[in-house]
Amino acid sequence: MSPTDPARRVVVAGMGNEYRRDDGAGPAVAGRVAARLEAVVDLGPLADPLDLLGRWDDADLAVVVDAVRTGAPPGTVAVVDLDEVAGRPVAGAPVTSSHGIGLDRVLRLARAVGNGPRRVLVVGVEGDDFGDGLGLTPAVARAVDDAARRVAELIEEDR
Amino acid sequence: MTHGSARRRTVDVEGIARVEGEGSLHIDVHDGVVADVSLSIFEPPRFFEALLVGRRAAETPDITARICGICPVAYQMSACAAIEDACGTTVSEGIWDLRRLLYCGEWIESHALHIYLLHAPDFLGCADAVELAEHDRAVVERGLALKRTGNLVMETVGGRAIHPVNVRVGGFYSAPDPAAVAALAEPLRRALDAALATVEWVSGFDFPDFQADHRFVALHHPDRYPIESGRVGSSDGLDVSASGFADLVVEEHVARSTALHARLEGGLDYLTGPMARYALNAGRLPGVARQAAAAAGLGPVCTNPFKSIVVRAVELVFACHEALRLVEAYEPPDPPAAAVLPRAGEGTGATEAPRGLLFHRYRIDADGVIETARIVPPTSQNQRAIEADLRRVAQGSLDLPDDALAWRCEQAVRNHDPCISCAAHFLDVTVDR
Repeated sequence: MSPTDPARRVVVAGMGNEYRRDDGAGPAVAGRVAARLEAVVDLGPLADPLDLLGRWDDADLAVVVDAVRTGAPPGTVAVVDLDEVAGRPVAGAPVTSSHGIGLDRVLRLARAVGNGPRRVLVVGVEGDDFGDGLGLTPAVARAVDDAARRVAELIEEDR
Repeated sequence: MTHGSARRRTVDVEGIARVEGEGSLHIDVHDGVVADVSLSIFEPPRFFEALLVGRRAAETPDITARICGICPVAYQMSACAAIEDACGTTVSEGIWDLRRLLYCGEWIESHALHIYLLHAPDFLGCADAVELAEHDRAVVERGLALKRTGNLVMETVGGRAIHPVNVRVGGFYSAPDPAAVAALAEPLRRALDAALATVEWVSGFDFPDFQADHRFVALHHPDRYPIESGRVGSSDGLDVSASGFADLVVEEHVARSTALHARLEGGLDYLTGPMARYALNAGRLPGVARQAAAAAGLGPVCTNPFKSIVVRAVELVFACHEALRLVEAYEPPDPPAAAVLPRAGEGTGATEAPRGLLFHRYRIDADGVIETARIVPPTSQNQRAIEADLRRVAQGSLDLPDDALAWRCEQAVRNHDPCISCAAHFLDVTVDR
């Protein structure tokens, strides 16, 4: 199955706000992925994981890209499979998140009503500055292409 | 988290759950008396006001839509109304109707989200919507279906549901295809049934016995329930234009918050939002919504903020019914936007966001470049009223253990559906006693 297989539904969602500097990393990466892979649907930019409800329904794969702050060098890209971490605290979890209900709870909610995606991958891009303002900081801006390439590979690898 | 001595106790809650965004809540109790209550939020509208200066007036709907992921249409509509006011633009009835339809989509989406996923769990002993879904899947499915219908309306009229792209000053870039609009009728009929079931469902909840004596402020309109236009009225007789209202609102900087707290001239606090809209406009609801309200036991005015969920459900009925009416009457406005010719001046626009009155005021120069911008969202107007509720709720609940007290205070905040995501990112609750 290829990323363009019409039977396979792949969605990508960038969480974050581009008016909060590096919080815009998620939407920047998601947009880049959707531009590279025509069959991938870009759901974002989203402000809240609850916005995924109804949009990621019945996807085979949902890739959620969000800025994170774990202490790693800015621009570091990390990937977790949400099913592998759901329900337990994650070391270095994405704490810089503007979102009231966590992503794992939203996935549980979607599955409780029967239409959650089969698999959710969370791609974190380490941010540096989350203050008010436009534009990613240089290290994060440089990481956007790499992160998008990584997401494209993940989509290709997921079968 | 609890700290404190016999005389003074502190409870910290890391993030008020199910409030959109971030902020913090501090309650100070000394010798069994609530001495101080403060709800602190960070407010990006301030940042956006600065960002807008020097930009073109035509950019305001797109830029201000990004203030909030939950109510972008409200920001777009108030921005358009303000710029059109400044430019002396007259917009056709057909365009106003289409705006109202788009706005109904946002009300449906936002109210369904708040009722089902954020507020109802408070009354059902569920920690959150996930637990509610595991306990009663059908009811959450109904809420999500309502939310989807709201999104569908926004996508059809606005181009997409989050940060709609079809809105411009003067109207729309293009009028939606009549067949696409007609296709909304069936989902909206189902949504209307679901909304009626919602009123019945929430009216059966157990509500704390609590009355608040707020001054209500909302738009009002002679012949319809207010959404996208109207004059500003109050429960104590105010009746002014949007511009007149903006002149009356005084914003005070409060040290503990980047937010400005709004009051009316003379230091009067007030509340906007569903309870205020309902109190001032219940008689203009369509029959189906009035009947649902009566069956739910709502009088002409609701003064128990814990029952705001019932008022919100009645407004959900109204929004579905109104959207259906507009869909059935739809004719594509031609042209889809009025020409907006820049001129030097000032303009104000006020509309009813799901959470309450939102007004924008801009001064522009002769080339249409913004010189000053003022954006006053409902949450900053409601902040003092929410704090007043909190003070009384906390005082009446001091016998509760810390966890339960913090939870009750969180509920008191959620009653008003504050949109702190317009704002910032965590809501920490602290109780000192």
